[in-house]
Parts: sequence; structure tokens; C-alpha cells
Amino acid sequence: MNRAIGKVGTAVVALMLVLVGMLTYLQVIHAESLANDPRNVRGALRDINLPRGAIVTADGVVVAQSTRVDDRTEFDFQRSYPNAKLYQQVAGYQSFVLGSSGVERTYNDELVGRGLGIQIRDPLGNILGGEEAVGTVVLSIRDDLQRAAAEALGDQRGSVVAIDPRTGEILAMYSNPTYDQNPLAGHDTEKVNAFYKFLSALPEKPDLARAYRERYPPGSTFKTVTASVALENGIATPGTEFPEVSSIDLPLTDDELDNFGGQVCGGTLAESFRRSCNTTFGTLGLQLGEAFVPGMTRFGFNDVPPIDLVPSGALSTGPKAGSFQDNQPRFALAGIGQGDVAATPLEMCLVAAALANGGVIMEPHVVKEIRDSDGDVVRTIENREWKTAVTPATAAAVASMMVDVVENGTGQAAQIDGVTVAGKTGTAQVGPGVDPHAWFVGFAPAGPGEIPEIAVAVIVENGGSAGSEATGGRIAAPIAAAVLRAYLGR
Amino acid sequence: MTTTTAHRNTELRLGLLSVGITAFGYVLVQLPDKSDIPADLWFFVSIFVGIYVVAHMAVRQFAPYADPSLLPLAAFLNGIGFVTISRLDPDLARTQVGWMAAGVGAFVATLVAVRRVRTLERFRYSFLLLGLLALLMPLIPGIGKTINGARLWVGIGPINFQPGEAAKVLLVIFFAAYLVDKRELLATGTRRLGRLVLPDPKYLGPLLLCWAVSILVMVQQKDLGSSLLFFAVFGAMLYAATERAAYLIAAFVLFVGGAGIAYNLFDHVRDRVSTWIDPWVVAQGKGFQVVQSWFAFGTGGASGTGFGRGNPQLIPNAPTDFVFSAIGEELGLFGTVAILAAILLFVGSGFRIALQADRPFPKLFAAGLTTIIGVQTFVIIGGVTRVIPLTGITLPFISYGGSSLVANFVILGLLLRISDENAQVRGASRGRRASPGMIA
Repeated sequence: MNRAIGKVGTAVVALMLVLVGMLTYLQVIHAESLANDPRNVRGALRDINLPRGAIVTADGVVVAQSTRVDDRTEFDFQRSYPNAKLYQQVAGYQSFVLGSSGVERTYNDELVGRGLGIQIRDPLGNILGGEEAVGTVVLSIRDDLQRAAAEALGDQRGSVVAIDPRTGEILAMYSNPTYDQNPLAGHDTEKVNAFYKFLSALPEKPDLARAYRERYPPGSTFKTVTASVALENGIATPGTEFPEVSSIDLPLTDDELDNFGGQVCGGTLAESFRRSCNTTFGTLGLQLGEAFVPGMTRFGFNDVPPIDLVPSGALSTGPKAGSFQDNQPRFALAGIGQGDVAATPLEMCLVAAALANGGVIMEPHVVKEIRDSDGDVVRTIENREWKTAVTPATAAAVASMMVDVVENGTGQAAQIDGVTVAGKTGTAQVGPGVDPHAWFVGFAPAGPGEIPEIAVAVIVENGGSAGSEATGGRIAAPIAAAVLRAYLGR
Repeated sequence: MTTTTAHRNTELRLGLLSVGITAFGYVLVQLPDKSDIPADLWFFVSIFVGIYVVAHMAVRQFAPYADPSLLPLAAFLNGIGFVTISRLDPDLARTQVGWMAAGVGAFVATLVAVRRVRTLERFRYSFLLLGLLALLMPLIPGIGKTINGARLWVGIGPINFQPGEAAKVLLVIFFAAYLVDKRELLATGTRRLGRLVLPDPKYLGPLLLCWAVSILVMVQQKDLGSSLLFFAVFGAMLYAATERAAYLIAAFVLFVGGAGIAYNLFDHVRDRVSTWIDPWVVAQGKGFQVVQSWFAFGTGGASGTGFGRGNPQLIPNAPTDFVFSAIGEELGLFGTVAILAAILLFVGSGFRIALQADRPFPKLFAAGLTTIIGVQTFVIIGGVTRVIPLTGITLPFISYGGSSLVANFVILGLLLRISDENAQVRGASRGRRASPGMIA
């Protein structure tokens, strides 16, 4: 019997060792990501009773603030969000039940003043105690642009993203539908949970940060990428001729790729770009083949933009590497931004920003700097390059084709008096019987010798107010123009 | 100095260490709030010391040759558990002090009542009957109660208790006695079924009865943890008695079969399995407990947040099922591994007692009791760390809960009784007839 008891004992020891192994995984190997998980409220809870700085826009509008309260709970401060619906997906929330998100999370340490080295001084300049003062987080977003975006979008579902191509600073980022996150910062667990449950159950998903978390087929706006990759690979120049046809055959199938409305379309690449000929760009997709995949990866596809928000950005995708041989029609569809291509509005804005900035994509960020209570800047968020999409020559060539689109093509609704605007429209098919998404991407000023200061991407889901009649030029371009006008002061 | 007094003095010193650790921890959990030594410290320390001194004196008196490490280890686990509970819910901690006293009372009563292990062997069928009755008591209308979705409770007057905890011990007594009696028959087998040699079915009867009861517990009382515990302990004992691995496989097959049927029939079983496989998709719903438990372990990291400085109150059922997660958050990997080490030492001592026993019954009985502690630890810690699906069961000596604490102290008393007998037999065989009177 002793031998068997010995074995049972060994088995029990082995079970304990399994537990030690799992504990090591949880408490050492995986510990940091568990501790920092957005759903782990402990970080927020640790700081929930500390004085907390405000979040303000670049032009000084308060987006989040703390006030001292005595509501007979264990909490001394109430976090509140003026302009909640306008800034919800950027500011996020700080909730003792759900944890925190958005800027509230990524800049939590700065908001409570941790590690900033700000000290409170009396009027004579002497340091008072060892207490650290809170930091004010200043967004790069401008309230006037954010409002212009929200007003232009109105009650249509969609997103607007505007970026300074030179720095990666986000100037506006708004989605509709949105919601008021103030109830989530409440001090009553049951009420917070009830609101969260209600919110998560809404079919229109207002808690989804569409601007950087939702993927859509980019449609013809993706022709900017197709044209760029074709130029980079030497497959075509702006003057290369393409046949005037109404459709092309898709290899390996009996299907055809038609032009919009079945029109005959073609001519030079520049002409095809202005007229948005599907036949030309489908052909380019097939000609590029495998080279298409690394080309769009350089624009940020198959990758997540490193935006300074929690939850983080979503992956934009295209056809898989190595799949051309078996899936040639998918590459033709990718040429016109359909099929396997799916992009977030943020990613399409980064495509426009790349072409505006000589081919270089800067890391997108919503925060510009941290200030102390006197308004002095204590930390500036660094501008960093993310990727190099194309050479400056390619960027310039595609930019001039985009200027042609706004001046003479489908994007004329984005024209602004006295300013050269570059752009590309898109009308992305979603499925049979479903109204298409209307897109516009562009930037300004785009005249010869001018350095573009703002790139913008607009999507209006399912045709917005125009329904099945919607096109990017009709629905999305005017919204982009409204944001550009607000920025340029026209 | 005789071995006896040396053993008991070791026990006393180790015990004082456990009491010291507990008192120190108790001060720590109070500090973040009050920043001075809690007023009830001395009251609490004296109660804890008092309880331990009573237990220690009882061992000196009634089991003087027993293993010196088990009682201090139990005191250590119990103390850490108490501090954690007091940190989570002071009201619960006050009740727990009462349960600790009741547990030590049961411990002393066990030492006094069970002067010879052999006595238990004789009443095996009475224990079987009592064990089955205890298991089925919660199903009796009127006194049975459902708390937290499991029908495990019996309420008589103001007191609620889980008779399943007593059934554990009672059935292990029966099993040890029965198997020792029939192990030859069970090991050899008389009937052939194809290539298999099977024992006479009538000897298997009581074993199948236990299997049926375990399934009933799982189905009727929705208590997966206890069911798993029964299977593991009985399987291990059957294997230990017969040294035939086929029984282990058979027990496993029967459990998997039973669990498979339960999975198909019952939503709560399916829920447990699906939240085990992926709790993140239901992180705000059914997976909330396990996800919060993981967050607690992760936030604690290697060194923990420090006693009283974490937020273990965020974990549902932290004082009972998830007490180990609360400890993981505040004491870190160092704390969790220290506790596992203490349990391992306890289990090690238990198996050593089994190996040293000279007769089959105490040998198998000690192994069975020790396996209860070991498997129960694995089932609950494995559950809260997501090694296995979560099943509600207590962590021995640590979790809040009276029935479980009393049962664990009875197990402790029985192990010390067997250990004491082993030592006396060894002493006698060396011609040095030892008697309890020597140490007076």
C-alpha cells in the first residue's frame, strides 16, 4: 500500500506545482498586462480619490474636470464632462466601476500629477510641502473644428477625422452616434452598471469609437493608395493610357468589374483618377499582384496606428500576402477599395496625411502638451514618424491628381474659394440592397509650393441623408469642406 | 528531554511564530485607515493565542507523541485567512473568530473522543449511513436551503451549515475501513469479461453507490466542487488500497461520463465550462468573477500591493471561494507560494503519517484525509486561477465558513491521533513503552 500512497502523494505534489506554474504566469509573466487591462478598475480606483487635472482642447474648452463634492459616499471628487457628446470618444471616462478609457486612461499619471515634478508654490515662490500638483492635459483637438465636424455631420451616422500631416496632431475626431458618459462617472455602483448595460445593448452602438475603431470598405478613396503603389512600382505614370471600357473581366471567374453606373471610362491614369474609373484601378490591382500588399502596408494597412488612446486603434486590412495566385479577382477589387480592403476613418485620414506630407506618416496623437496650474507647459508630446508610405515625388504626383479631382472631377463640392484643395471621393458598396457608404479624403492647402496643414477623412454610413442616391462627392465632400473652412478661417 | 516534550516544544515555538505572523498581518491591514495600532489588537491577539493554547494543551494531554508541524501549519493558514477576511469584511471576521473557537472545540473533542483509531473502523456502516444522510440532508424539504445557487445548506433555527463538509470525513472513514477489509478481493478479481478480470460485483456495490451519490450531489445540489472532490479522493483511496491503476482509470471514466452527462443536461455546468474556456467575452457577466480574480493576481504581481493596500473587495465572494485571489493581490506571488508551501508541508506530513502507520486502516485513513486537503486546495485554487473550471469550494483553513473550518479541524485531530499512535507503536517496538503520563 505504501508504494501506491507514495504515488498519490506525488500526484498531489504535481498538482500543487501546476498551481505554482499558473501563479507564476499570472503574477509575473502576464502580470503587467492584467494590471493595465482597461477592464481592471484598480488603476482608476487607486487614483479616483486624488485631485485630478482637467482635459482641455487646444483652444481652451474644458472637456473633463473634477470638482470637490460631499455626496456622503466615500469619494471626495466628482469627475464631469462638459461637452460630453462632442468629446466622448477622445476624453473617455473615469469610472470606479468600469475603470477608465480614452485620454483619462492614457494620461492618467499626468492628470494626477504623478512624475511631472510640478510642485505647489506659495505666492513668494516657496515650495509648499512635498505635495505634487495635478497636470492639465491639453488636446491637439480644436473645439471650433470639432464643432464644425459635428454640425456638418448632423444626425447622419459617420465619422470625421482631421490631422495636421506635419506633426500627426489630431485636430478633430468625431463620430455620430455618440453618448453622454457622465453617468459612468457616478458614485452609485448600481446606477453605473444599469447605464452601462443600457448603453451596451443599444443597436446603434454609440459606445463604439467609430472614428478609429470601426472598419469600412474605403471604396474609391483607396484609389489614392492604388495609384501611389503603381507609381512607386513603376507600373504606371500619370500619363499611362488605359482603355476606355465599361467593364473588365475578372480572371478565374465569369464575373466582370463594372464602372460606376456602367459608364465607359478610361484614358490616362490622371484622367482615370479624376473620373474614378473602376476598370483602370481594377487593372492596376491585377498588374501589381503581390507587390500590392507591401505597398499598402507602407501606408499603414495590416497594422494598428499607434494612437494615444485606450482602447487602442483597430487594424486596417487588405488582401493577404501570398494569396494573389489563387485570388486574383480579390486584387482587382482591392484596386478599387472593395473586397478584402477594410479601413478605419483614422487610417484613411493617415493615407491623405501621408500624401500631404511628402510620403511620411506621423504618429497620430490627440494630446499636444501637459501644463501646470499656472498654464506653463511642463511636458510636450513628441511628434514622431510612424511610416514612410511613398517617395516625395510619388506623393506630389498623386497630390496633383487629387487637386484635379476637386477642381474638375467628382470632388467639386470640396472646393473652397482662394484655397487649393486636394481630395478623392468614394462610394463604397456594402452589399446588395444596402445603401453605400459615402467617403471623402483630402487635404489643404495643396497649391504648388504650399505645405498642407490639415488632412481630413469623412465617412457617412449608408448614404446618410441621401440614402441610395448617395455618393462621396455629394454627401461626404461638403462635410470635409466645412472642416477645412473652419481650419483655414474661410 | 524526551522526544515527546521536544516535539511539543517545537510545536509551541512554531505555533507562536504563526500567531506572531497573524498579529503582524492584522496590524498591517488596519494601518492604511487608521495609522495607529488598532484598539482591538490585544483583544484579538489574546483570543487567537487562547484558541491556539487550548489546542496545543489538548495535544500535549491527549496526543503527546503526535507530529509537531501540523497544528502550527493549520494555525498559520487559519491566521492568514482570518486577517484577509478581517480586511474584507470586519463583521464576517467576528463571526469567523466564533467558528475558529468551534473548530478548535471540535478538534479537542476529536482527540478526546477518538482515543484509538481502531474504534472508528468498527462502526464503518454507521459512518456510511451518517455520511449519506449528511449528503442528502440539504434535499430534505423544510430544512434544506439554497444559497448562491447551490442547495448545500441546512438551516436549523438561526444556524446554517453545510452537512456535506461532515459527509466528507464520514465517508472517508467508511471507505478506508471497507477497502482495507475487501482490498484483496477487489485487487484479485474472480470473474472474466473478455480480457478483463473483474472482482465480484457485490464488492463493487458500495463503490457504485458512492459514485451515484456523487452524481446526485452534482445534479441536485449543483455542487460541482464537492462532486469532483469525492471522485478524486475515493479514486485515490481505491488505488492506494488495491494498487491497481485500473480503478483509477475507472473512476476517471465514470467521472468524465457523469460530467459529460451533466454538461449536456444542465445550463449551470455548461456556463462554468464556457466561462472557463473564455471568460473575457462575458467579462461583465458570468465571467466577471474569474476575470476579477485574474486582475487581482496580475495587480498583485510578484510582491503584492501589501496587506490592506489593494482592492480585493472588487472580487465577488472574496472571503469564501475567492479568498486566495484576495491574498494574491495583497501578498503577491511570494504570499501565494508561501501559502501553497504551507499546504504542501501539511499534506507532506499527512502522507508521512500514512506511510508510517503500521496497520492498513490508519494508513489508508490518513492518506484519504490528506488527499481531501490536497485535492480541495487544487480544486479551488485551480478554479480561481482558471487552471480548471471554477467550482465553489472552500480553501482549507483559510476561507470563511464554519462547517468547512470545523471539518478541517476534525481532520487535523484525526491525523494527529494516527500520528500519535504511530509513535507509540514505534516506541513500544523499541521496548520503551511510552505513556502519556510521562510528560505531565
